Formats: sequence, C-alpha cells, structure tokens
Amino acid sequence: MYSVVSTAIVRGIESLEVFVEADVSDGMPLFDMVGFLGSEVKEARERVRTAIRNLGYALPAKRITVNLSPADVRKSGSSFDLAIAVSVLAALGAIRCERIDEMLIAGEVTLNGALLPIEGALPMADKAKQMGKSACILPYQNAQEASLAGGIKIYGMKSLGQVVRFLNGEEEVAEYVRKTGKKEREYGVDFSEISGQQFLKRACEVAVSGRHNILMIGPPGAGKTMAAKRLPTILPPLTAKEQLEISKIYSVSGMLREREALVEERPFRSPHHTITAQGLLGGGRYPKPGEISFAHGGVLFLDELTEFEKSTIEVLRQPLEERRVEITRFFGTYSYPADILLAAAMNPCACGYYPDRNKCACSDSVIRHYLKKVSQPFLDRIDICVEAPRLNYAQLTARSKENETSAQIRERVIRVQEIQKQRFQGTDIGCNSRIPSFAIDRYCALGEKQEAYMRQIYRRLSLTARSYHKILKVARTIADMEESGEILLSHLMEAVCYRGMDQKIWER
Amino acid sequence: MKYKYWLACMVERIGIRNVRRLSERYRDAKEIFDQPKEKLCADGTLTESAAEKLICGRLESDWEDEVEKMREKGIRLVTIEEGDYPLRLKEFRDAPYGLFVKGRLPSEENRTAAIIGARQCTPYGREMAEGLGKTLASAGVEVVSGMAKGIDGAGHFGALAGGGSTYAVLGCGADVCYPSGNMDLYRRIETEGGIISEYPPGSAPLPAHFPMRNRIISGLSDLVVIVEARMKSGSLITADLALEQGRDVYAVPGRIGDALSCGTNRLIKQGAGIILSREDFLKDLQIFCEESKFKKKFSKNSLEKGEVLVYSVLDLHSKNINEIIDETNLSAAECVCALAGLEEKGYIREVFQNYYIRRLED
Repeated sequence: MYSVVSTAIVRGIESLEVFVEADVSDGMPLFDMVGFLGSEVKEARERVRTAIRNLGYALPAKRITVNLSPADVRKSGSSFDLAIAVSVLAALGAIRCERIDEMLIAGEVTLNGALLPIEGALPMADKAKQMGKSACILPYQNAQEASLAGGIKIYGMKSLGQVVRFLNGEEEVAEYVRKTGKKEREYGVDFSEISGQQFLKRACEVAVSGRHNILMIGPPGAGKTMAAKRLPTILPPLTAKEQLEISKIYSVSGMLREREALVEERPFRSPHHTITAQGLLGGGRYPKPGEISFAHGGVLFLDELTEFEKSTIEVLRQPLEERRVEITRFFGTYSYPADILLAAAMNPCACGYYPDRNKCACSDSVIRHYLKKVSQPFLDRIDICVEAPRLNYAQLTARSKENETSAQIRERVIRVQEIQKQRFQGTDIGCNSRIPSFAIDRYCALGEKQEAYMRQIYRRLSLTARSYHKILKVARTIADMEESGEILLSHLMEAVCYRGMDQKIWER
Repeated sequence: MKYKYWLACMVERIGIRNVRRLSERYRDAKEIFDQPKEKLCADGTLTESAAEKLICGRLESDWEDEVEKMREKGIRLVTIEEGDYPLRLKEFRDAPYGLFVKGRLPSEENRTAAIIGARQCTPYGREMAEGLGKTLASAGVEVVSGMAKGIDGAGHFGALAGGGSTYAVLGCGADVCYPSGNMDLYRRIETEGGIISEYPPGSAPLPAHFPMRNRIISGLSDLVVIVEARMKSGSLITADLALEQGRDVYAVPGRIGDALSCGTNRLIKQGAGIILSREDFLKDLQIFCEESKFKKKFSKNSLEKGEVLVYSVLDLHSKNINEIIDETNLSAAECVCALAGLEEKGYIREVFQNYYIRRLED
C-alpha cells in the first residue's frame, strides 16, 4: 500500500511544501527512510515506530519505505514525526485516506504517542492556505499561533491516537477558534512619563514621523533609555500584514508559543552590548533570525553604543539599507525581514559628563579615542543626533500632568506618515528617510532664501554632502509635520540642530 | 653656527645651567667644542658625567648637516650671544642658551602678554581667552602662549582675529606641530608672528619639556593672564615662575564651585590682578581706548521677540537646548529658530552640539 501526506519545512520565515510518502511492500522486514534527512529526522524512525506500537498497532514484518520529497531539500527539525507516523499508518491501512489529502500535518511525536509543539507553525499554516489545503493538524500548543494565518481550519491535537481517530472519523475534534477579544495596545510605558527634555521628545517625534534613525548623546541619567523605550508607543499601529510578518519571525524562533496572541505591539529590542554579530543579524547552521529581525516593524535600541564591538555594529550597515537580512550558510541562503527604526544612545565621553567641565576632565585625546569606537559608516546611517542634558529633580518632577501622551503624539505621527505615503505613491521610497540622494532635489526643493541659508551653514559647519542630504531629509519631515508643502527656513534651522555627530564637533 | 647648534642641542643632555656656565666661561661655542674633557671638568665647571655626555655629543651627528637641514625648514637659531636675542630673557639665570625660531621673535618695543590656562577648558574660558586675545591684539599688545588645546589656542586665535602678532612657544621642535590638530593655527602663527622653541628641530613633545617651555612663555611676556586653571594646574606653576621673573600676573575670575576657576580665584586671593572686564583690564594696563569700543552693540530692536527671550536666558556658561526650552517656555521649533537667528547675527555661539553660550560683544 502506498500513501502520501503533506507537511512543510520552514526556511527563513517562509515555508516549503514537503510530501511524506510511505510504501509497505513484501520483502525483508525493514523500516527505511530516505530523502536528504538531517540527523533529527533520521531519529524520527525510532520515535514513530515506537509510538505506533504503543498505540496498539503491530508493525507487520514487511518492508516499509518512507520518502520525503523533494529530495534535494535538506530536511531538518522534529516537525516531520507526525506526518511520517500518519503516512505509515495510512499505508498500513489503519487510517482512511480520504481526509488526508486536504490536510497539512506537522508535529513532534513522543514514544508514547503524545504530540510536542514545533517551531514555525504559523508560516506552515500560511503555506497550507496557499497550497489550497482546507485544514492543518498540529500539536494543540501550536494551534493558536497557526490560527493567526486565518482562512484555514486549525485542529490542535494532543496525541497520535487522537489524530488517527479524527482522521478515521471516530472522534470529532473542534476547529480551533481564536479568541478575538480585540484588546487595546498595551506597552506599559508612555511618553507623558517624561518631564522636561522637550527637545529630546521633539527629536523622537521627528525621528518616528520620517522613520529617521536616531542617536541620543548625554550623561547618565538624562533619560535616553527612557525615551527610546517609548519610541514604539508613538509608531502607528501595525497593519494586519505587518502583524503576520512579525508573528512569523517570532513563530520560527519558537517565541510565539509563550505569547498570548498575535504580536500586536511594535517590538522593542534592546540587545546587550556583548552581543555577537550572529546574535544581531541571525545565524546558526540553519539560520535563525537575530535581534534586528526581532525588531522588525519596531525599534532596535543599542544602548551604550560605544561598548558594542565595532565589527558587530558594522554588520548592521547593509540590513539597514536593504531592510532585510540575507544569511548564507551551507544549507542555503535564508532571508529575514529587518525593517527597523534604529535608536542608539551613548555618553559624550568616557566619564559621561562632557561638556560639563566640573565633572569631566577627559582630555581631547581621551574623548577622541572614546568616540572612535563608533564606526563612521554606521554614523552615516543615522539622520538625527540629539544632545540631552542631565535633569535635576525639579525638572524631572515638574508639570507631569501637562505632558503629552503617546496617543496624542501617535495621532500626529500617523498623519505625517500618511502625507509621506501620498507623496511617494508609485515609488518604493515610502518615507522621508529613504529618499535616495538622486531624488533629493525633487522632494526637498529649496527656495532662494533657504538655499542661501544652507550655503552659509554648509560653509560654517563644513558639512559633507552626506550630512547636507540628511539635513534636507529631516527638514522635509519637519515640514510635513507642520503640513507645509514647502521646506521653510525654520524647518531647516531645526534640522540643523539634529545634524549628525561630526567628528569635528568635539574638537576646537 | 655648527658649534652653536651643537651647544643648543646639548641643553637637553646636561641642563641649561651647565650650558650657561660654559658659555660664560668660554669665548664661544667653538672653544667649548674643542676643549678636552679634563679641561672641562678641571675647574669644576662640569661634573665628570656631564663632560662625558658633552664629549659624546660632539661625534654623534654631522652638525654641519643638521644646521643645513634646519635652514631648509626655515628655522633659525638665535643664541644668547647674539644681538637679536630677546632682552626680556637675557637677565635670567636660566635663560635659554638658544632659541629656534620660525618666523619672528616678539618685538622689544611693543608690550607682550601671555594668555595661558587649562587645555580642558570650558566654553566660558575659551570665550574669555579669545576675547582677551583680540582686545590685547587690537590695542597693540603682542600675545604669547603655548599653542596647546583649550585656552592657549583660543588666546592665539583671538590675537589673530584682532589683527595682532602672536607667538607660540613650543615644548617640541619648532618644526613639529603639537598638538597636531592645531595645524591651521600653527601655519597662521608662523606667518603672523613666530614659533619659538628651545629644543632643536625634530624634538618630540616630551613631558619634561613643558615646565621649561613655560618659563620662556612668562619670560617673553610683560604680563601673564591666566584664564582658567584647576586647583592643581601647570598654569599655576607658570604663574609662580612669572612672579619670580617679576612679571605682572592677572587672573580671570569665575564662579565659586567651578572646578576650572578654583585655581584662578585662588590666584586673585593671593594678590593677582583681577580682570573685571576687558575695558577695565586695558585701563589697568594704562592703555586707553575710546569708551564706545565696548559699548553694547546689542540692541533689542534688531531682534525678534523669541530671540530676545532666548538671549536673556543665555550667559557665558553653556546651556543645553532642553534647558533653554524649559526656561523660556517656547516650543522646540520656536526656540530653534530663535537660536539660529541669534547665532547668525553673532550674538551667541553653539559650543557643542545643542549647547549654546552668549558671545562677548566686540
């Protein structure tokens, strides 16, 4: 007897269809598995055989051959167990084949036939939908995340026995229905908690509005981390497409199971400065996403920027431009989305208190050495740079009731992003920070007065072409915030205050 | 010249006192060069080891060649035996034997003032040093300093801005720009004044050179102004040297509690002249200028409302833009415009990103 079962393998955040074929024929008693298998898949043979026997079926003294196709894709992971077991049982005639065709089946099986959760259930369910299947059979722990795909029935099962009875029509299993109590987005933090630091807050709003990467410089206790943590709260709500994409990333990392529901908040990731390049970008034999992908759609915050290894930071350069990460390993190239808002924070000097000379006695060479730890090409990708002073107690506690809430700021941000969306319709630019240099003239045209001002600034601050473009892009965002079609002098003036950290600033 | 050059180079080996004693005892450098070792030690002029070093030094280089190299670099050697050696230095027991000069030496007719202070200075100190340099230079006083980062450099800059001559005394060879970040300044001083060093061309800026260099700075100046100094500061040592040399010492006062004004305030307590304003300072020096020169050019009419408000909360000590916004209750956007306007009109200066101070009026 021959049978075939559909399952899937996860590659990156996408899924590939895999067929598990089983054939039982006369010959030497043998249980053989082929199809470019990783060692954990080879071990499935023992798990499946034992689980079937413990289910009460005796494996006949026949030749059992299992093939996983396509044969040129390396199979890894423990998610094939259930599909293999079902396929073998179908080939033995223990399961009726009618319902199998419309199902995608995946899960890990224990020796006593219980099902264990797998990674990447969401992309698999999404794939099943694309393949035209009507349902997925998955371990019950994965049912919730898989249901996020929508438009496909999800059956969460507890054991192999239940699966067999279900497929034979002997037991009814209810389709998993996601609880759709739409809950208000909850970050637990709010911008209204920051008092004073008006300029820092303004810079944050500009950064989020135009999706400009931001660097905050200031002494310890200036509220840099506090502000960064609140950046996701003023980003517009996630679209359904974004939610699914982010959820897939967490799904393939096995991080979605612990969560209550779909990822509904924008992520905020703040890796420790000892992180490796692989931890940041993603890596491993079968590459898993790194912090930059976990921050997809949200904020990646690098605190104590100078403490990160220079080489670690530099790997971010390409993903920041491409908005996705490509990782090539022996078993192929994996691609993860990485569309992030980058925020970084650092002290102005080794002791942290420059330019307060009462506290800071760092010499120029010490400061220069300290600043050299940040790579220049990385700084080139940061549009907004803001200095925050240390706050005293009065400033910290003052006027906390009058502070704007995140919701108020977010409303403005949504409006500004809408303006940008309309401007860049039909292009792949999307937001002001991504205006390519050749299109600067088109989108950031300056009037005569503004041109004269920039000429003077260019000379006085000895700007580079790159920093000049950054100022124009930021000015474009500020103009959008004021709903001004034209970039006015005041917009440029503000943008100049956010200009990138030039090495020159510290000298003189 | 070869012998003089050799002797000037020997200062670092056997010390200035020994060299001066030799040069007083013998007719010229050539005679010293030719003396046998026994003779040098015989009458107690030199110790055995010093004489040994001197003898070794004779054969060390092709001194003729060295002199040629020096000339190629545009440096000349002025020894104490020569007529154009600064009179201000000549009287001192430890006056340098020779000065390597690129450019000019301070003039004997004009007054000279040293502007010195901390390298890690505050924007206030920098602004004061620059302002004083400019004021002195435009009053015809020549400014001497050490071309270091911070106060020294600002003093030079001010003097250049005031259109005067300024002289840098270095702790390294006159052909070495130290700190290297001051290359622009070095080039300008070279043409608008002079670079002076006791050390032969190519000498590295060794720590031991700097106290010796300080005595030349104060020695070449009629008065010494200390702008900013910490409690334990090299500038205070220079002030002591200056007093020993009979120079007037002035100090710029600062706020109580500012680390960089501790030293200068202490000097004032000890009797140094206090600089209340640049105008007052010139009066102290008995240099008279029109009253109107320092009259505030600042008129509220030329400023917009927000600019007046922002200007009123600024002073000579740097303030972050966040604090300015807090104090003025302006919005971030308004404040930024006011700051940009003020800076364009020359009333304020951004000393560090997002930090601003008022500028001295000029």
